[in-house]
Amino acid sequence: MPLPRSDIPLTLAVTASYRHVSDADVGRGLIAGQSWAIAETWHRFAPMVLATAERALGSRAEAQDVAQEVFCRLYRKARTLREPESLRSFVFSFAIRVLKSELRSRKTRGWLSFHRPETLVDVGADTLDVEARDLLRRFYARLDRLSAEDRLVFALRHLESMTVEEVGAALELSTSTVKRRLAHATGRISRMLESEVGLAGRLPTRGGGTT
Amino acid sequence: MTRVDDRDLEVSPALGAMTALIQQQVQPPTAAELNEGLRALFHRIERIEENEGPGHGHGQLDDGRRGGWRWSWRRAVAVACGATVVAAAVAVLVVKTVGTSSLSPRASELAYSVEGGSVVAGGYLRQVGRGGVKLSFNEGSQLALMPGARGRLLSVDKGGARMAVEQGTASFRITPSGHHLWLVDVGPFLVTVKGTVFTVSWDAGSERFELRLRRGRVAVSGPISGGDLELRAGQRVVVNLPRAETLITEDAGEDGATESSTTSDVGPAAAGSAAEAPAAAPLPSGKPRQEKSSALAAASSSPALAAAKARRRGAAAGAGPSAVPSSGRPSAGTTEGSRRWDQAMAGGDWDRILDDVERDGVTSTLAAASDEELLALANAARYRRRMDLAREALVSERRRFPSSRRSLDATYLLGRVEEATMGGRARAVRWYDEYLSRAPAGTYASEALGRKMTLMNELNGASRARPLAEEYLRRFPGGSYAGSAQALMRAP
Repeated sequence: MPLPRSDIPLTLAVTASYRHVSDADVGRGLIAGQSWAIAETWHRFAPMVLATAERALGSRAEAQDVAQEVFCRLYRKARTLREPESLRSFVFSFAIRVLKSELRSRKTRGWLSFHRPETLVDVGADTLDVEARDLLRRFYARLDRLSAEDRLVFALRHLESMTVEEVGAALELSTSTVKRRLAHATGRISRMLESEVGLAGRLPTRGGGTT
Repeated sequence: MTRVDDRDLEVSPALGAMTALIQQQVQPPTAAELNEGLRALFHRIERIEENEGPGHGHGQLDDGRRGGWRWSWRRAVAVACGATVVAAAVAVLVVKTVGTSSLSPRASELAYSVEGGSVVAGGYLRQVGRGGVKLSFNEGSQLALMPGARGRLLSVDKGGARMAVEQGTASFRITPSGHHLWLVDVGPFLVTVKGTVFTVSWDAGSERFELRLRRGRVAVSGPISGGDLELRAGQRVVVNLPRAETLITEDAGEDGATESSTTSDVGPAAAGSAAEAPAAAPLPSGKPRQEKSSALAAASSSPALAAAKARRRGAAAGAGPSAVPSSGRPSAGTTEGSRRWDQAMAGGDWDRILDDVERDGVTSTLAAASDEELLALANAARYRRRMDLAREALVSERRRFPSSRRSLDATYLLGRVEEATMGGRARAVRWYDEYLSRAPAGTYASEALGRKMTLMNELNGASRARPLAEEYLRRFPGGSYAGSAQALMRAP
């Protein structure tokens, strides 16, 4: 019995070794819907997304959720990638959008449930002592009080060490707006840190000592 | 609007220390975390596309791991008050805010599955358990690696798929399509498929290739000096590389290939082979009975099979079955020589070929032999370590038949000959260079680049070979030199 004919396009199912393929070619593969490209995109850029999200949210577990969401969206919206050479920027813009969406959702959930969502800070859970972890938890609790936009501006500037101009480009904000939001957020967080009794003295410095 | 002075952006020592602490504590993900994340990603994409429907929410970050909702007295009061309007607003808000992180529907494109194992880096098909690995594609094609077999899925795209069988047996059931090209690398052989059912096996230790075609058609290319083989349903080919022996037999194919239809399909070839190479025709005495007949057996490494194939093609074009194969057969005497070499090639009797050449004279043989015979002579000389004679035969091949495909093969083989010659590695590199420039996608392109990489490493060190390793991995990520190339990339 002859086999039925098929016109269904075969699709990529597996990645080979694509470590040496350029970002542009990976981007083109992504646009074409090839799954090796999504895998390669993941391997190249997931570390960046995970680190940014973890620093912004204070939780590795939540960062992993964000990364999943980022790459799911990326896969679905790959055809909107106009310049394959700019794949890194494209991925980062998705990360920023998902982070913003996540932070807004947190606010919404806090309002709907009539309680402030618990901040699950697990940064440094394996390496820091209880005191330092508690400091971090309170720090992120304060960040939770900022608006999503202010928090993102703060995180990109202070945790990602981006310039004001880069923050503006990433968030599609003018430089003056970034400065205004940054001043607002930085002021609030700085005041919080100063209000913590003895906080400055307990913070470890880069050299391993305390301030 | 408030003007922001740059001094407002200055960071206090406490804030600086806090941000530094966070930056220090966030570590990059491990390879295991990345792999796990990728698996989760693919699983999530598949699940979403399977389940999504109009209005269905997908991939929400809020999946219950956040600590969930807490029932508070305020919430109880709110619910008790029956704030329907608030609930409605909540619903709208949920859709608007949470829904922004949904994934928009799109037609499923990931449609393949693996049973009995998984596809890991490099396309390697890793078996879990002892039942083999089975891959099913969205358009209905299936391939299965038998237990213990090793293989790779080299590429799959909209134009087709390419797989490698490195060891053991694999079976294929390919859905016919004019849009897809399926290629199967089996050791040094390449099987080109268009809608068929077949089983193929390769034993790297004994260098034995076998293909049993149950349905459809395939073409086999590789180190068969008779040229590519085109097989029809019901045929089985066994190539024994060390003995340079190729046997084609007839099975009862699923297309209903019978002995008579077989005869009409390949009769001239069988007749020709039988007439020209009687000693090569009989099957080994222990052949199973289901192989109905006719051992067409021919030494495909010999001109006999090529002659038979040429007759098939000639018959199709209206030529008689006695049409001789390709050019370069200048005399009846040479035809007799061909018959003797058929037998010798089939039996691995290299000495007999070399004796004939010695008797007839090297110069006259090189001047009169066909391109197939020259290649056969070169192989015989190589196997008997007569590198000078092998080189002469290959050079004659290139000089007398510059536009033939075998001339390209000769270019590559000259590299192999030079490699086996004292102080010939630099010359070998040049031959490989020429082969790669003339046939960048040729049968031996992967081998030529791999050998060149190896020689460059030996001659000039890893730093000079590394660009070649990079090129090799880019062009032939599943090639037989991929492991060496990766090692070179890691070398200090």
